[in-house]
Formats: sequence, C-alpha cells, structure tokens
Amino acid sequence: MVLFFALGAAAAGLKSDLTVPEAIGKGLALYLMLAIGFKGGAELATSGVSATVAVALALAVVLSLGLPVIAYGLLRTFTGVDIRNAAAIAAHYGSVSIVTFVAATGFLDDRAIAYEGYVVAMLAMMETPAIVTGLLLARRAEPRTATGFRGPLFSREVVREVLLCGGVVLLAGSFVIGWVTGGAGMVVMAPVIADPFAAILSVFLLDMGLLVGRRLREFGAVGWPVVAFGLYMPLVGAIVGLSAAYAVGLSEGGTTLVAVLAASASYIVVPAAMRVSLPQANPAIYVTLSLAVTFPFNLIVGIPLYHAAARGLATL
Amino acid sequence: MTQLWRKKKIEIVVEAARVRAIIEMIEKAGAKGYTVVANVSGKGNRGTRDEADLSDVFRNVLIIVVAAEDIAARIVEASQSALENYAGIVVISDVEVVRNEHF
Repeated sequence: MVLFFALGAAAAGLKSDLTVPEAIGKGLALYLMLAIGFKGGAELATSGVSATVAVALALAVVLSLGLPVIAYGLLRTFTGVDIRNAAAIAAHYGSVSIVTFVAATGFLDDRAIAYEGYVVAMLAMMETPAIVTGLLLARRAEPRTATGFRGPLFSREVVREVLLCGGVVLLAGSFVIGWVTGGAGMVVMAPVIADPFAAILSVFLLDMGLLVGRRLREFGAVGWPVVAFGLYMPLVGAIVGLSAAYAVGLSEGGTTLVAVLAASASYIVVPAAMRVSLPQANPAIYVTLSLAVTFPFNLIVGIPLYHAAARGLATL
Repeated sequence: MTQLWRKKKIEIVVEAARVRAIIEMIEKAGAKGYTVVANVSGKGNRGTRDEADLSDVFRNVLIIVVAAEDIAARIVEASQSALENYAGIVVISDVEVVRNEHF
C-alpha cells in the first residue's frame, strides 16, 4: 500500500501529468470514513459498552486538548515561528489524520491483530478539541490591554465549519449506524466496506502521494527547524499516546492505534478551521508540515514503530 | 436597437475560506445577485494557487457581481476590510446590461 503512496509522490515530484480527479479523491475519502466508522460501530455492538469505553473517550478529549500545549512549547523553544503560527501548527498536532489511522487499521488487519472498535470513536472525539487549545494559545499574540478588541473565541462560522464538517458527520454517523445495526448490518455491508477496503485505500494513497509530492516543493517556505519539528513531534505524541493507552489497558492493536492518533496531525479539518479563525497564520507552513512531513513519516516509519512499541508494552 | 443600461461589474477572486463572508457582504450592500465560479487557479502574490487539496485551503473562487454604481461602490469599500489577511483580488469595470430589471 505504501508503494502506491511512493508512486504518487514520485509522479508529482517528476511533474508528471498524472492526477486523480478531485471528485474521485473526495469520493474515496468519503468511502474510507464510512467504512472505518461502520466497522468501528459494528465492533462496539458485538463487544458491548463498558466503563473502559467512557474512560477511553474522555482520554481522547484530554489528549486532543493537551497535545497542542506540548507542540506549542516545542515550537516556541526550538523554532523561530511566531505565536500565531505556532498556535496554528500546534492545533494540527492535537487533532488527527484519518488517513493515517485508516492505514494503521490496514496494517493491523494484514497481521490479523484485533483492536477495540471504540478506538474509532476516540478518533472522532480527537478531531476538534485541539482547535480550541490552538485558538486559546493564539490569543497570547493579542495585547493584554486591548481587552475590548478581543472578539469571541469562536465565530458562528468556525463552529459550523468544525461541527458540521463533512468528514466528522459521516464518520460519527456511520459509527452510530454500525453500532445500531451490529452484526446483521455488517453482513450486508461487508462485501463493499470490508473486502475491497485495502485495495481502495491503495488508490487513495496514490492520490495522497500526489498531493504530498506537490507540497514537497514548498519546503523552502517552512524552514528546516520546523521540518524537524514535523518529524520529532509525532514521536513525542506517540509516547504520550502509548502511555495513555497502556494506562487504560487497551490491547496491542488498540494501543498501536491510539499512538497513531496521538502522533498524527490533521490536514483537512484543522486547516479549514484555522483559515477561518486565524487568518494571520500562514497555511503554507501548517499544511506543508502536517501533510508533506508528518503524514509520510507516520505512514512509512511511524506505524510499524508504534506497533513494535505497543507489542513491547503488551508483553511487559 | 436594444436599449442598454450602464452598470458596474465587480470581479472578486478570493480564497474558499472567505467566500461565505464576502457573499454576505455583497448581499448587505444591496446587490440583487451574484455569480460564483467555484474553482479557479492562477498565480499571484501568494504564489501559484491551484491546489485541489482535501481541505480547500489553497482553493480560489471567483465571484462576479453586476450592480448599479452606488451599490458597487459600497461593495468595493467593504471588500477592503473583508479581505484583510486573506488572498483576494478585486477588479471593477464598466459594463452594459440588457435586462435592467435584473440588477
């Protein structure tokens, strides 16, 4: 699967005219979110709801709120980016990359490693709280005296952007449908959402490779200390995620996925929200960083690494 | 010969994130309608903008408004603050329209 990603990145790097039509790319993204949401919901229906589920979901929110603070501290200490850009980047690292998560479930399925279905619900919970932290951090850039000038933290526009974002609605909706219909629903859906899942993911990764390859040309605008941040921040996030998952008592597969969630950075929901609510921050920096640095790193190096660490923890 | 009416045409190229705000501004200024071209690409002071990425952050949109001179002036005026910190181009030109009652 990673090979298709490499093909896409190489084709874009060589300026080939290969493109995946935008509508197909978006369609594939919808398919993946529907499939992953449904599978998670159906899994939860068979395993049942327990106290652990509630703890895990609360943990997801805490991770999403907390990780940006770590990211912001690292950015302000080790890179030269200003407060607003640091806050915008930090918000991306508290949120999650759905594609990285989906690739990680593919990695686990390949090896027949089971994982808790409610990790998908954790994914949905982690998507947006980071935006709140990011916007709070960005307020440090505003002068203390001009209190009258400070607008509300969220405009109506941002709330709509975040809560009604297509991806979040579809993921959460499919999860609920999967949960309600359970095993019977899975029998109906399996030929479409289970069997061809890995192959469709490969096509999607080809598209992602093309997007990443095009973004790679923007490295100059980002600066090397920030690129380095895009490589070590996922490791920091993964360590936090691994410890948290271990504390909750997740399985080897579940721990791997939580590490992947904590390590990954958003490049769909958060950029859109940041563009609306924090226009002074430069999108060429935060999108390039999360899409062209952290995403490939997690896909190629991160997932196997986090799985090895989770396996190590499981055998302790 | 068909009677023609003098109007102003305003073309605004703006990034997708700001489209909703710009359209609200146009309606508030009193324009009766507008045309939106959802996906345009090109090059400007923010570099080449043609990226069809998943978040739409680098996508540009073209909004065309034809209106009477006073409304057009209000739109141009209001566009300055609405575009602060965002990618945007505002162009105004003289045009003649056929169906006056539409504008």
